[in-house]
Amino acid sequence: MKGWRTLFPNAWYVAVREYRSRVRTRSFVLGTVLLAVIAFAATQLPVLVDFAAGSSQTRLEVVSTPGMPADSLSLLSETLNGQISATAHPPFVVSWLAEGDIASAQQALENGKFDALLIVDRDPASKNLTFTLRTDLASDGPVVTSIRPAVALLALDDALARAGTSIGAVQATPLTVLPVNPSAGPANSVSREVSTDLLSTGLIVLIFMAIITYGVWVAMSVAEEKGSRVMELMLNATTPLQMLAGKVIGNGAAGLTQYGIILAAVVGGLLAQGPIHKAVLGTDAGNTFGGLDPVVLAAFVILFVLGFLMYSLLYAALGSLVSRQEDVQSATSPLMMLIIAGYVMSVFGLQAIDDTWVKIASFVPFFSPYLMLARVSMGHVEAWEFGLAVLLLVISIAVALFVAARIYSAGVLLYGQRLSLRQVLSAARVSR
Amino acid sequence: MSLLIDSVSKRFGEVQALDDVSLEIEPGEVFGFLGANGAGKTTAMRIVLDILRPDSGTVTWNGKPNTEAPRETWGYLPEERGLYAKMNVLEQLVFFARLQGVESKAAEHEVREWLERFRIPEYADRRAEQLSKGNQQKIQFIAAILHDPQVLLMDEPFSGLDPVNAALLKEAFLEMKSRGKTLIFSTHQMETVEELCESIAILDRGRVVVGGSVRDVRRSTGRQMVRLAVEGDPEMTWLGTLDGVRVTRRGQDYTEAEVAPGHDPGAVLRAALSRGCEIRHFEMADPTLEEIFIEQVGQIDTTERTLAPKAVSA
Repeated sequence: MKGWRTLFPNAWYVAVREYRSRVRTRSFVLGTVLLAVIAFAATQLPVLVDFAAGSSQTRLEVVSTPGMPADSLSLLSETLNGQISATAHPPFVVSWLAEGDIASAQQALENGKFDALLIVDRDPASKNLTFTLRTDLASDGPVVTSIRPAVALLALDDALARAGTSIGAVQATPLTVLPVNPSAGPANSVSREVSTDLLSTGLIVLIFMAIITYGVWVAMSVAEEKGSRVMELMLNATTPLQMLAGKVIGNGAAGLTQYGIILAAVVGGLLAQGPIHKAVLGTDAGNTFGGLDPVVLAAFVILFVLGFLMYSLLYAALGSLVSRQEDVQSATSPLMMLIIAGYVMSVFGLQAIDDTWVKIASFVPFFSPYLMLARVSMGHVEAWEFGLAVLLLVISIAVALFVAARIYSAGVLLYGQRLSLRQVLSAARVSR
Repeated sequence: MSLLIDSVSKRFGEVQALDDVSLEIEPGEVFGFLGANGAGKTTAMRIVLDILRPDSGTVTWNGKPNTEAPRETWGYLPEERGLYAKMNVLEQLVFFARLQGVESKAAEHEVREWLERFRIPEYADRRAEQLSKGNQQKIQFIAAILHDPQVLLMDEPFSGLDPVNAALLKEAFLEMKSRGKTLIFSTHQMETVEELCESIAILDRGRVVVGGSVRDVRRSTGRQMVRLAVEGDPEMTWLGTLDGVRVTRRGQDYTEAEVAPGHDPGAVLRAALSRGCEIRHFEMADPTLEEIFIEQVGQIDTTERTLAPKAVSA
């Protein structure tokens, strides 16, 4: 059949045309810019949060007394700021004045350089530390309330130091965790699964969004061509297969362009987070980049491309069934269901990655882009399993190409009401 | 060495679009498909183009099946006109030409030349949606011929064109003919057919009812038409009394009568002279294609049989 003539160069010309006309549309340009700006802004949210938190910071000046343990400052600061001390904007800024001049510290306090002045002294009789806090903050307010246990801890640390030990040494006491049956080995570590779970979900969402957004573009472009009757001219110039391939490649590339720009904005935003944080707040931000396994990344790229190809072909076939762009949404809804079903399966699958149904579904071409990716990123997969899923996906793409070209070549010649698949299949038998 | 359509049949569900159609179209010929809506003209063209496959029968071009002919053999102007609305004219014409294997430089040169010929060179950089219907039609004609096809198939090329643009398109037609191209077009404008076509086929409900050279078709009935006008006797009631003569039209300008096969139209002239009529106008002619068409196809069938795409609101 002539319909199966060589794909190139015509598929390439079609792809280039599709790509150009797609990226030139106002909706593409505006959409890309808007999404990139939103993505960039989203990455700067931590800076904004820290900035907002900045106003509630308490500046505490401490005047120490001789003989205090060396780690007293960090102990006080950590106790006051708790776990949050890792973030860029702790609730307390603690500064230390070793055995200093209380009068000048008092002066600075009165000038508003500090919110509170903590004077540490030693009781000559008991040798215990004593604390005096000079502040206009309420004595039963949250700031003073959180300073109380902190100074108690300082006193304890000092007492321990005099006894020849320290809080740090006491805190380092080891704890051995064993399962109910001690001979079964060490307990499960769940922390790794929690973090890779987030990463997998992120990657799966990326695939899901791409297919659902850009697949519709392919269907739209087919319907547009049919609606404007350019199809009639194109039918003599190209074969359905060339048209299909060109449309999928062209629209796919346009989609990837938009995706790439948005991802670049995200990466750029994350990289810029540090410098911006420093410029706005004068402190460093925590590192946001987690490690991404290159194996997972490679699997993601392969499954992304193959999954997108397969779904785009089906979108093109369904797009050829309608005569107007307005009808694309309803014509493609069955496919949408399938895509969402795959996504939902992967969400549940991540919680039960070693279940048999997840393993089986991760080979089914409609679902493997999600579920095989989930399994790879969780590290619960053999190399041959991944290879088999990819092979099945490639085979199903070939089948989808054949079926889609058949539906397409019949569908584009039939106009009028929305066509049923039965009508199209009977038409597909008699067309080339 | 010709385009041979041999016993081609095609059915779409309930509708027999083509029923055992056989035609031979000589290379370099201008051929007209005539028929009412739904007669099968578009289907026949699509089968020649191998956009559709027949249920039975074959199409050969120069002795080879049309399915093996390279796609650039054919140029096609579809009935449903469509261009990429947002693309500029030059860009999309070059795109169409490249799909047919023309180098982009050569294509651009050719496009500019044709735009010049159609007196619209300034439209090269306009978007298609900014053009009038007539101009879009000219653009599509250019799209159909850019790759220098051997056979040009055009579905209703003159419909919706004003007289000036129709004349320009006819000129382009004749240019293609002088380049030795085979031209096939469908229409229901009989005057255009008589003006341009060497051969025709009248299709009715998928069957060829009359086919052959325009001359032979017009003579095929054996009847002759006589147009007569005489001074002072517009009624000419005597005309109907002549043997084998039937009046078909009475008008202020002339009266038209049909002379049955085997009768001499000259007898009408002699009868008028013998009555001493002063003759202002006398003309003998074969029946027009329009008369033959109406005779063969009858009243235009008003029931909708067409498979052609219905207009949709874009």
